[in-house]
Amino acid sequence: MTKTQAHTADPNAPLESTQASLLAGTALALAGCGGGESSPSVSGPISTGPTSPTTPSVPAPPPPPDISDTARFLSQATLGFTRAEFDEVQSSGPSAWLERQFAAPLGTSHYDWLVSKGYSAATNTNSTAGIDNSLWNRLITARDALRVRVALALSETLVVGVQGLTGQWRQFSAANYMDILERNAFGNFRTLLTEVTLSPAMGSYLTYRGNTKANPRTGSVPDENYAREVMQLFTIGLVTLEPTGLPRLVGGQPQETYTLDDVTGLARVFTGYDLDTTGYSAPFPPDVVRRPMAQVASRYETGEKRFLGTVIPANTPAPEALQSALNTLFLHPNTPPFISRQLIQRMVTSNPSPAYVQRVAAQFENNGAGVRGDLKAVVRAILLDPEARDPALAASSTFGKVREPMVRFLSWARAFSASSASGNFAIGDLSDPATRLGQSPLRSPSVFNFFRPGFTSVSLADRGLVAPELQITSETSTAGYLNYMQRAINGQGVGDLVADYSSLLPLAKTPKALVDELALLFTANSLSASTRSELASAVEAMPQTTDAQLKSRVLAALFITLASPEFIVQR
Amino acid sequence: MGSTTPQQHERRAFLQRLSALSLLGPAAPWALQLSAMSEAAAATATDYKALVCVFLYGGNDHANTIVPFDTASYGALQQIRPNLILSRDALLPSQLAPATALPGQRAYALAPGLEPLVPLFQAKEMSVVLNIGTLIEPTTKAQYQAKSVRLPPKLFSHNDQQAFWQTSATEGSPSGWGGRMGELFLNAQSNANLTAISVSGQAAFLSGRTMRAYQIAASGPTAITGVGSPVFGSAQGSALLKSVLTQNQSHALMQEWVTTGQRSLDLNDRLSSALAGVNLTTPFPIASNISDQLKMVARLIAARDALGLKRQVFFVSIGGFDTHDSQATTHPALIAQVGYSLAAFHQAMKDLGVSQQVTTFTASDFGRTLASNNDGSDHGWGSTHLVLGGAVRGGEYIGTPPTIAVNGPDDVGSGRFIPTLSVDQLAASLGQWFGLSTSEQQVLLPNLANFSQRTLPLFR
Repeated sequence: MTKTQAHTADPNAPLESTQASLLAGTALALAGCGGGESSPSVSGPISTGPTSPTTPSVPAPPPPPDISDTARFLSQATLGFTRAEFDEVQSSGPSAWLERQFAAPLGTSHYDWLVSKGYSAATNTNSTAGIDNSLWNRLITARDALRVRVALALSETLVVGVQGLTGQWRQFSAANYMDILERNAFGNFRTLLTEVTLSPAMGSYLTYRGNTKANPRTGSVPDENYAREVMQLFTIGLVTLEPTGLPRLVGGQPQETYTLDDVTGLARVFTGYDLDTTGYSAPFPPDVVRRPMAQVASRYETGEKRFLGTVIPANTPAPEALQSALNTLFLHPNTPPFISRQLIQRMVTSNPSPAYVQRVAAQFENNGAGVRGDLKAVVRAILLDPEARDPALAASSTFGKVREPMVRFLSWARAFSASSASGNFAIGDLSDPATRLGQSPLRSPSVFNFFRPGFTSVSLADRGLVAPELQITSETSTAGYLNYMQRAINGQGVGDLVADYSSLLPLAKTPKALVDELALLFTANSLSASTRSELASAVEAMPQTTDAQLKSRVLAALFITLASPEFIVQR
Repeated sequence: MGSTTPQQHERRAFLQRLSALSLLGPAAPWALQLSAMSEAAAATATDYKALVCVFLYGGNDHANTIVPFDTASYGALQQIRPNLILSRDALLPSQLAPATALPGQRAYALAPGLEPLVPLFQAKEMSVVLNIGTLIEPTTKAQYQAKSVRLPPKLFSHNDQQAFWQTSATEGSPSGWGGRMGELFLNAQSNANLTAISVSGQAAFLSGRTMRAYQIAASGPTAITGVGSPVFGSAQGSALLKSVLTQNQSHALMQEWVTTGQRSLDLNDRLSSALAGVNLTTPFPIASNISDQLKMVARLIAARDALGLKRQVFFVSIGGFDTHDSQATTHPALIAQVGYSLAAFHQAMKDLGVSQQVTTFTASDFGRTLASNNDGSDHGWGSTHLVLGGAVRGGEYIGTPPTIAVNGPDDVGSGRFIPTLSVDQLAASLGQWFGLSTSEQQVLLPNLANFSQRTLPLFR
């Protein structure tokens, strides 16, 4: 998309039909290109049958994108990008880059990385040692940049928090969970849902590992934790939605999607699951937290299960009951807009228009080839939507999102191909808001993520806006972020992580060029003219005799860019 | 413009502050209403008072916290949750002897971890509020089943019930009742931006309609290094850093960043100097995060005069109460952290000579089921809570003990109690003590009017 397609700045305005159909045609035409994605699915994607095809149209080759648009695209589609990656997209355009990324091989798994680094030694049996290292390694160095971007977004929707895990080999359990998210990031949501549900990590985090059928003698009933949260947070949400993601009102009132009876009914499905230790004896190896959980027949509730209008007859085997339950959630009309809107919020903007959500949700419902839940189609729709690409919208006073603290950190680390000489990425848990980022991957304090999709501030509420990331933005976390980054970019507080500033150092003696380069990479060229000029002037006043002085120039300019509102808010 | 009385001047300044805080431009009608109320409330605030909310995130298992202890109730509970109930022997030392006995010989004992609070109850400095929770209007089991009354939306959901507890509105409501109460006193404060302080991150409870809460770490304020000293050797860079963190922006989200930057720089400095003069000697013997948070609240209260504050609302929290699993091992440890830190905090208030002026209360998402899920309990509704402080009419049970029974008259399933007291009634009671008039309570708590008993006999 180019500036020639700029339309109104009102995010709620309907798209001009020509743009919409052009986009639909593009997505349809591309749908077949990245095929061959096969994941070990427990149940295959569900076909929704043939659909009326959108009239295909073959767009003329677009002119080279504006450099600001390229940088914007990469800030949405990655967790940070180098100058070389920028040049690549500037040359090929976003669509072709997306298809290359969809086809890029999956990097080394977290599980295998932990093993290769020796974390499977018995001394680590009862710890989380290694998980932060592994996460930072992948998030910083992965060349399958889009995949880790989407996987991190998924980790903030289908949330597991490392500190909420129990049992042995917690680092491997969390590593396997992230592997599931990465493996399925371009796969099918239905497969993802099965793998998440059977993962020992989720089983431990939401306490249904070991869940037992009702016991009339003791009065105990099945644990309801997962039944509730898989509906509320992972699939359908609390209220009935329009295809636009807006609540469907009846008599002016939102309608709740489920009742207490639905929760207790569904809870009976998630009984009997526990670690699969087949072939092993204690002490168990980490492999038992990688295998999908298995059934323990004596704990499984064999009685009838009723929820959301679905009735699973008594004596239905556990695997069938599970697939039936997950199908009910997957096929619920809420799931496409509910998941789509949150992924848009993680990648593009906090306040997407209803029409934008609807277009993405439509791709979730049907990727154009009759497949529901194709995340590749969803990601493509999110990133290539006119609302994401339109520079006029980006210039409005409400578009965009506050960049998450961990994404700010990753934007820096990835931009300069930060590396760890030891290969150990001993950056650690950055959750402390006063001294670090107030956020760290896979370390949400609860299943409700670091922030809620509807969080707003006293000022934004009056304007009908939300800004989820502001939930972790405070006087203290702002100081913590700035102080941490000031040290991090200089190689302090990040283990042996070292950034490669070789692309910037040649610009140290030309402050204006230095500032322009930073403005492009970190603010999609949106840094204000006055800040650019003051920043160039501040750098100009710094000495430039020694290498150390030149580096200080780069660091000062970089640090102030990373503090600027134009960087903090990704537009 | 002609001369103005001090009151008119104050009023105008207040309206200006409201519109500046909210970027509203002209003050909205509710702001005018709030402003008029603020004049009245602020006029009464010559002394100092503080409310401290201790939030137990996850939904506290009330039946293992304030345990039904009379023989019949304990026996019933033992039938319902044989593998969760605390042993009778362990509870013996923390039986409560109330000033006013409950009907039907109903009695309670505190969990062993709350033992440090037993002397407070006996000294009439703490009371127990029975079966309290989120309600829109009084609700009976028949009404619940017939769906003939309005219910708080999304019952049994963590975030929604946390939000309803803290705001008396649904999730996404930007203002909480603590913040709305504190906001009435902005005119009485030298540092109005320190009226509401969280030592535990974002909490809807503390946001006003235009007032933001300040968030401090348990370790204290955090200065921005680069503003106080040259940035990589550049003083000009340091000045520019301050500028990009504070210069107003036209983009809504970018303005949020600089609003936070402005507050961070301003408030962290003020607090650092005020806290430097504080010497709190009260021991907080059992180290824990909640203990550190309450200690910071105590230090902030000690700095009240240095900061020129007359009314404050504080928020601290402790997580981990969502005990679906392993409750027998996790819950007692969490409860002990609450018990020991609350007792130390109350002693600190005495040592500072402000125990009459500080009221502390517990809150949580919801109560939990009486029924066990084998090794834990599930999301419930009504719960039992504590209110403590020198002004509290202590040693009492407030409210009605629910019948300990699954499928009993108070249960909507598995021992989830329909609350008989609403959070709004607790809020109104705290508000009245804080200095709010009846009409102010009703404006700030829109559902309060649905309850015939507006306030609870919580204060002397």
